[in-house]
Amino acid sequence: MSAVQDQAHTSQPAPGEVLLEVDNISLSFGGVKAIRDVSFDIRIGEVRAIIGPNGAGKTSMLNVINGFYHPQEGTITFAGKTRRNVRPYEAAASGIARTFQNVALFKGMSTLDNIISGRTLHMKTGFLWQLIHWGPAEREEIANRRKAEEIIDFLEIQHIRKTPVGRLPYGLQKRVELGRALAAEPKLLLLDEPMAGMNREEKEDMSRFILDVNSQFGTTIALIEHDMGVVMDLSDRVVVLDYGRKIGDGTPSEVRGNQDVIDAYLGVSH
Amino acid sequence: MYYREAGQFKTSYKTDQAILPLREDRIGLMLSLVMAVVVVPLVSNDFVLASIMIPFLILALATIGLNVLTGYAGQLSLGTGAFMGVGAYACYKLTTIFPDVNIIVHILVSGLFAAAVGMIFGLPSLRIKGLYLAVTTLAAQFFLEWCFIRIPWLYNYNASGAIEVPERRGFGDLILTGPAADPLTRYFVVLAIVIVFTLAVKNLVRGRIGRQWMMIRDMDIAAELMGVRPLVAKLSAFAVSSYICGVAGAMFVFFYLGAAEPDAFSITLSFQILFMVILGGLGSLHGSFFGAAFIWCLPIVLRTWLPAIGIDLGAETVFHIAQLVIGALIIFFLIVEPHGLARLWQLAKEKLRVWPFPYG
Repeated sequence: MSAVQDQAHTSQPAPGEVLLEVDNISLSFGGVKAIRDVSFDIRIGEVRAIIGPNGAGKTSMLNVINGFYHPQEGTITFAGKTRRNVRPYEAAASGIARTFQNVALFKGMSTLDNIISGRTLHMKTGFLWQLIHWGPAEREEIANRRKAEEIIDFLEIQHIRKTPVGRLPYGLQKRVELGRALAAEPKLLLLDEPMAGMNREEKEDMSRFILDVNSQFGTTIALIEHDMGVVMDLSDRVVVLDYGRKIGDGTPSEVRGNQDVIDAYLGVSH
Repeated sequence: MYYREAGQFKTSYKTDQAILPLREDRIGLMLSLVMAVVVVPLVSNDFVLASIMIPFLILALATIGLNVLTGYAGQLSLGTGAFMGVGAYACYKLTTIFPDVNIIVHILVSGLFAAAVGMIFGLPSLRIKGLYLAVTTLAAQFFLEWCFIRIPWLYNYNASGAIEVPERRGFGDLILTGPAADPLTRYFVVLAIVIVFTLAVKNLVRGRIGRQWMMIRDMDIAAELMGVRPLVAKLSAFAVSSYICGVAGAMFVFFYLGAAEPDAFSITLSFQILFMVILGGLGSLHGSFFGAAFIWCLPIVLRTWLPAIGIDLGAETVFHIAQLVIGALIIFFLIVEPHGLARLWQLAKEKLRVWPFPYG
């Protein structure tokens, strides 16, 4: 795994520095304001949780970060580059990978192909080499297969390597999707509800993988999660959104004691 | 029992990623190649070669072309016939302007024209999907057919409005095209081109480019997030698909029809190829051959065998019955096995793994 780790670290600043800075982002769809003037940062090497009640704008926030939505106001600074409007493939090229709330695997492909497809940006050989699948094209294919197998070993999914992902149970699909995102060797990994719909054992497995990714590869992680126990255990810092506004930001214990957060989650009498 | 991977251990990624990792499959492929190269030419008469084998191979290639676009990249197209026509007319113009260049070169180059046209009509795919995209490719079909009829320059101002294949020689003094060309020669040329193209497409779809097509097909949002540029992936699929269809179209006229009116590239041909793709199996190369064989050969088999077993209904009636049977079979297949003959083939292989025991 060390090869993956080394590559992840090159061109990254030292741990503790800011990797992603979200500045005064506002996003609206017609008259609906999904995000209102939200700012926060994600530091290198940390696990950052984004929480909030349903409809708080968490997934919209991720979509802004990786370029699916273009905010009306505000900027995003990632790895020293400031931008507002970016295409998803440009965000991917700059080192952002993500998983989806509803599993978005490539259903017609095997687990192995799904994970290799995460390495799209690491594959470059030209059309003519691809046509004969020989020389550089074959070497590239084998090199990326090796990387994919490292991910497969890491996530303990060797036995389903050649199974079409459509046939896998939900928990494993989530794990394959994590593998696909990891295969890209991202600087920042966005996880949108990685444990939604899982039982306790599956949640524990997934938590272990997330912590291992963070500690072994040094990947910075931002995750959305509803299970408060998981959030409090996994994350270094938490940002809380409600109705598109940021109502809390800090360590799990700070957030837990925040009166606004408690009101948002438990409701408050007016 | 007879088809199993047990005991065939792979010790390198290279052997595991080979086109056919299983020994049984490799033997099967070898047998079919021997059939195609040795047995068919030995046992077939000119009729079988010229009316069954040659068009079957060419249509199989066109099916592979459409399969790249529809089966692998997930973009529906009803313009296949017209893209084949572009290849045919381009090849006709090229060989009348440069008669001394080998006709094979012209056929390969004429595919480029089809690819260019295909990419232009593929541009809407960046905004629209599915049925709506099919409608825009339908527009391509009608527009290009109109061009074949209304632009006399394309058919060199022939009074008949048709393109007639001139005699062309190559490889020494072998007659390759025209009325005097030997069916056996034409068969070998077609077979060679189809084999090379099939191998090249197989290489594309198992590598980086094919994977990007399938990513776009299965989940375009996630694909974009893995760094796939939709513009590049979709247009490259249109280009490769139209190129193959264009080459198939040029061969269809130069090695099979001999002369063609614009009618030859009508919507009927587009649908015929689409049926071959669906029946053979979306996203399967050997399925393309199954589909082409089924739809092309079944009417011929029905027409020759029905009289042979004593049911003599007259040529017209047999033709109509064949049409009816094909229609019914297509509906039957789509209900019973929507994934086509390739899926049936795979199921048969899975059954053979454990046969004659009930469990593996």
